[in-house]
Amino acid sequence: MNNSKKFLPGLFLVLIIVFLILGAILYLAAYFWGFFLILLAGILYFIRQVITLGPAEAKLNVKLMGKKLMVPVVGILCSMILAILIMIITGYDPLTVLKSLFYGGFIRNWHVSVLNATPLIFTGLSIAIGFKAGLFNIGAEGQYYIGTMAATYLGLKLGLPPFLSIVLIYLISASAAAAYNIFPAVLKVKTGAHEVITTMMFAHIARYLSPIFVLANGGDPATSTHVYVTDEIIRTNFLPYFSSFLPEANYRLHIGILIALITAVAINFFLNRSKYGYEIRAVGANADAARAQGISVGRNIILALVMGGFLAGMAGVTETLGLNHKMFQNLDAGYGFNGISVALLAGNHPIGIIFTSLLWGALDAGGQYMSRTTGVPGAIVEIIKGMILFLIVAKYIYSWAGNRLVSRRKARAEEGLA
Amino acid sequence: MALTGEKQICLEMLSIVKQFPKVLANNNINIKLYTGEILALLGENGAGKSTLMNILYGLYKPTSGEILLNGQAVTFASPRDAIRHGLGMVHQHFMLVETLTVTENIILGVEPGRGGFVDYKAAREEVRALSERYHLHVDLDEKIENLSVGLQQRVEILKALYRKAKILILDEPTAVLTPQEVDELFVVIRKLVETGVSIIIITHKLEEVKAISDRVYILRRGEITGVHRTAEATKAQLANYMVGRDVVLTVNKVPKEVTKPPVFTINNLTVIGDNKIPVVKNLSLAAAPGEIVGIAGVDGNGQAELAEAIRGLRRIESGSLLYKDKIINGDSTQFRIRKKMGYVPADRRRFGLVLPMTISENMALGHHLDKPNAGWFNLCRDYMQSNAKKLVTDFDIRTPGVGVPAEQLSGGNQQKVILAREFSWTPEFLLVSQPTRGLDVGAIEYIHTQILRMRDNDVAILLISLELEEIFSLSDRILIIYEGQIIKEFQAGGTNEKEVGFYMTGGKERSHE
Amino acid sequence: MNTFLAIFNADLLVSTIRLATPIALAAIGATICERSGIVNIAMEGIMVVGAFMAVVFTFLSGSPWVGLVAGILGGGIFSLIHGAATISLHMDHTVSGAVLNILALGVTRYLMILFYGHPGTTDSIPISLKAYQFAIPGLSRIPLLGPLLFNQTPIVYLSFLILIAATILMGKTKTGLHIRAAGEHPLALETIGVSVYKIRYLGVFISGLLSGAAGAYLSIENAVSFSEGMTSGKGFIALAAMISGGWSPIGAYLAALFFGFADALQIRFQIMSRVRIPAEIFIIFPYVLCIIAVAGLVRRSRAPKADGKDFMIEKSE
Repeated sequence: MNNSKKFLPGLFLVLIIVFLILGAILYLAAYFWGFFLILLAGILYFIRQVITLGPAEAKLNVKLMGKKLMVPVVGILCSMILAILIMIITGYDPLTVLKSLFYGGFIRNWHVSVLNATPLIFTGLSIAIGFKAGLFNIGAEGQYYIGTMAATYLGLKLGLPPFLSIVLIYLISASAAAAYNIFPAVLKVKTGAHEVITTMMFAHIARYLSPIFVLANGGDPATSTHVYVTDEIIRTNFLPYFSSFLPEANYRLHIGILIALITAVAINFFLNRSKYGYEIRAVGANADAARAQGISVGRNIILALVMGGFLAGMAGVTETLGLNHKMFQNLDAGYGFNGISVALLAGNHPIGIIFTSLLWGALDAGGQYMSRTTGVPGAIVEIIKGMILFLIVAKYIYSWAGNRLVSRRKARAEEGLA
Repeated sequence: MALTGEKQICLEMLSIVKQFPKVLANNNINIKLYTGEILALLGENGAGKSTLMNILYGLYKPTSGEILLNGQAVTFASPRDAIRHGLGMVHQHFMLVETLTVTENIILGVEPGRGGFVDYKAAREEVRALSERYHLHVDLDEKIENLSVGLQQRVEILKALYRKAKILILDEPTAVLTPQEVDELFVVIRKLVETGVSIIIITHKLEEVKAISDRVYILRRGEITGVHRTAEATKAQLANYMVGRDVVLTVNKVPKEVTKPPVFTINNLTVIGDNKIPVVKNLSLAAAPGEIVGIAGVDGNGQAELAEAIRGLRRIESGSLLYKDKIINGDSTQFRIRKKMGYVPADRRRFGLVLPMTISENMALGHHLDKPNAGWFNLCRDYMQSNAKKLVTDFDIRTPGVGVPAEQLSGGNQQKVILAREFSWTPEFLLVSQPTRGLDVGAIEYIHTQILRMRDNDVAILLISLELEEIFSLSDRILIIYEGQIIKEFQAGGTNEKEVGFYMTGGKERSHE
Repeated sequence: MNTFLAIFNADLLVSTIRLATPIALAAIGATICERSGIVNIAMEGIMVVGAFMAVVFTFLSGSPWVGLVAGILGGGIFSLIHGAATISLHMDHTVSGAVLNILALGVTRYLMILFYGHPGTTDSIPISLKAYQFAIPGLSRIPLLGPLLFNQTPIVYLSFLILIAATILMGKTKTGLHIRAAGEHPLALETIGVSVYKIRYLGVFISGLLSGAAGAYLSIENAVSFSEGMTSGKGFIALAAMISGGWSPIGAYLAALFFGFADALQIRFQIMSRVRIPAEIFIIFPYVLCIIAVAGLVRRSRAPKADGKDFMIEKSE
């Protein structure tokens, strides 16, 4: 009896994880029927909850989840409506525009969306971990540059066996980015210099360092045909492609997205289930209480910013080893800024960041497809993104609107009584 | 009218009722204020004095009732309205902008001058004339942050007078003053009355009522229990009206013999404050297992800094802290926690809890790195949850569950979370600072009982409190802190509130010796 | 020695003032904004909007003066979103600022494609404000200071006026007094009958106007077109100038001059450099200086007490 009670949920858990992983891989590689596996995992999860917690509590959990999703869903809907208005005002047919936006982003060019989302997940995590500690790592873009430079350099020079080489490049390059973020972290702790300014300035420094780096690694006009690009990294240092095990997957799609997913899950575990993540959250939520309970505020500030640098660096490594295989001089990726968006949108929840990054990536990919097929400026996507962000982050709008509704209803009820 | 001769009524509050969602704060209160009198509103914390005055000042709207000003019915939608009608209020927490000068603070919002420009010269003249008229002398060009509390209060009074206040409400005006400053304040108040200003003083101190007021209303649990000409009432009578019973808080304190040597000792401790001058000076004390050492004193006499130094949050300038015969001066807060030194901070929302975190997470705070709350890397959430559930039952914490954020609890329940956390790992020394500030009577009694239970379990407890009642109902020994020094020590039975109050305000002890 | 003279001459000071102007304008705006209690890191985005609006309206009207007004107002109006978000909707100030920076990039890019058909850089305007450089008769003859202060382009003059106006505003006027109180102890101001919300909206709006002017300077005075990324962190350098300047208009201006000097110097070194060193090494210089200034000075200067803190009027029930 007791055995079966433990056995069944355990079996379910294994099944859920297997279905989830398989489904995710298939779905990301544009095998859309992978979605059914994910759905199945979801159903199994619900059944498992019913078994372990009882039907009432399982229902309650679903309800709570739905409540949490309310604000994002409403925000996205509202901004869509606003976007339609803008399109009508500027003279485009919203129906065809939205159709091609979604068709392009979520079906036709889904692999581009996934490729777009990959670095965003990393930078989003980088910024989220900062926010959790009450810090704003606004210069993640700079740490991304450092990661890219280090990865390109090592990619050019490091000729070890493929797997070992890639792991080493990840570790060393991301550590370099992490080390780069130590300066603002230490300045913050020692002098109180605000990280918004310092990380931003360091980002600009990194941005201006990158042309020098490109010049030194193949971008020299004397040796290269192209001034703006480094040489290509060693072939064995490329990240593996999905197409090597899923033949129908797009040939550009690399496994970076899987590394990103694993990282997101790991960061989620770190923040919510580990004692060090607990300290970071405590410092972010109330530094005074944390200090009074023996938590070192300075150490956690440094830890959060260094981890943020590491994650942003990973974004650069993944882009280099997976997609670009070289470094461009004027790389103006915007992953830092977009990382802020996806982190805020997800409420700094690591798992949520996966979805918001995919949404962002799909909007970008869909925007490109849309402007190619309908001639609508792709930049309308930027406006949609801005509005989504605003309508979700400014949550108070809803409670404000809600309060007004309630008070009006109350006033009406009181009138009725009187 | 026999009570006041031929004086006129300038303000009347008629049948004021204020119903808060759960509490009936004011129940059918009637108050008359005569022109040029000093009226005291006497009552315990939570008796409804502040609510009543906030209604008068336009911060709250009464549920029902009427305010008559010189016979005219008025309603105040905001303090703005109240000010316009000639009311002035000196809040317990001053509403002064620290970086502005005295003059700027006084004229703020009603600046003289034309075309958007402030005529500072005219302003200074006006303020100077005002301060001379009422003999309220203060350096007009000094910034507020450089003034003593007494002078800041003077600025607040000037601020009200500058707005032509005819009725001045003083909320606990002596709470933060030194005895000398209190005397000066009383002189000022009498001067004001001579010029025709009427004054309402909110207070819970009998001494004050006797010293300054003409008449006194006594509030208890939101109702008026008595009104007297001060001269005709004895202190005992007033106390009886105010408290409604002989002893306010009935906790069962069994006298306990201290047999063990002190576990925690402070030797000649000096601590520097934020303003870079010593705020704790050469202070020594000791606490033995099974005794509660109460530190009584007026706020701002070094209590906060002393607590921070004991917790390891503030650097020690000189002297030493001895815990279990080892000097712990340089040891980290974390080390002290692991050595079973507990801490219940005065500002629970700022220092005690991480409000957005759940109750079970807050219960682990401070011990989140150690078994059984955590493994080598992970948190043991199952243990944290079951432990929190147990503590919630043990300490009767009213919460929908242990997974809700601490910010959703009431103040009393938040304090219980802190106590439960600190008590749950069997501390050997406990620093308790202001454990019942702002709580209702039920919660106070519960928390006092728990603290006494800890004492009976042989914990050495250092209690810092601004409430004399609390000191008396809990302490075995009473130390009096004044300007960062312990100036007197009593055994609990060997003194009374009056004597302790005398020393708290810097009594003339040192000149006696 | 020759090289030295070629770098350190009167021209260097002139370009110092020019390079300092956008930073100074934004920094003075930020100072007023933060003194009222609102942290504004959206200045970078506001500058972008101002710069873009200035170019578009110069283009449409043919007059850079119209463009200047449009740039200033565009910045002001855009900043009101930040005001609404932080004051009325109680959003975190830095988060709102970051969102607005992102929104500004999107909006300008969209409108650019709408107006010009392509992203990147707009078409050149027919005439820039630089053409209206004029010398004030008499005063410009003063040696050294004359050409420095009295032979300048319009927005540079404007920045001088704004420095004086901001100093008077903060020091002498009722509004200035209210702004200072709102950033230190908003409740004290509110209970006295002055609306903290209004004062804070005003602070944000002023900083929007000035950041808009800074943007206009970049696009229609210092250049003849708008290009994406042309602000290159100036909004954040302005923040640094505000902090280093101790939250006072004059301090902010002096700090901006210092950063402008660093920028002017690095440009000189770039040109004068004999060895083949990548120009970027020099470009970095002002950013490094900015970090050092903030790290070194932040402890010495005192931020307004309620800066960045939300203020919610307690409702009387």
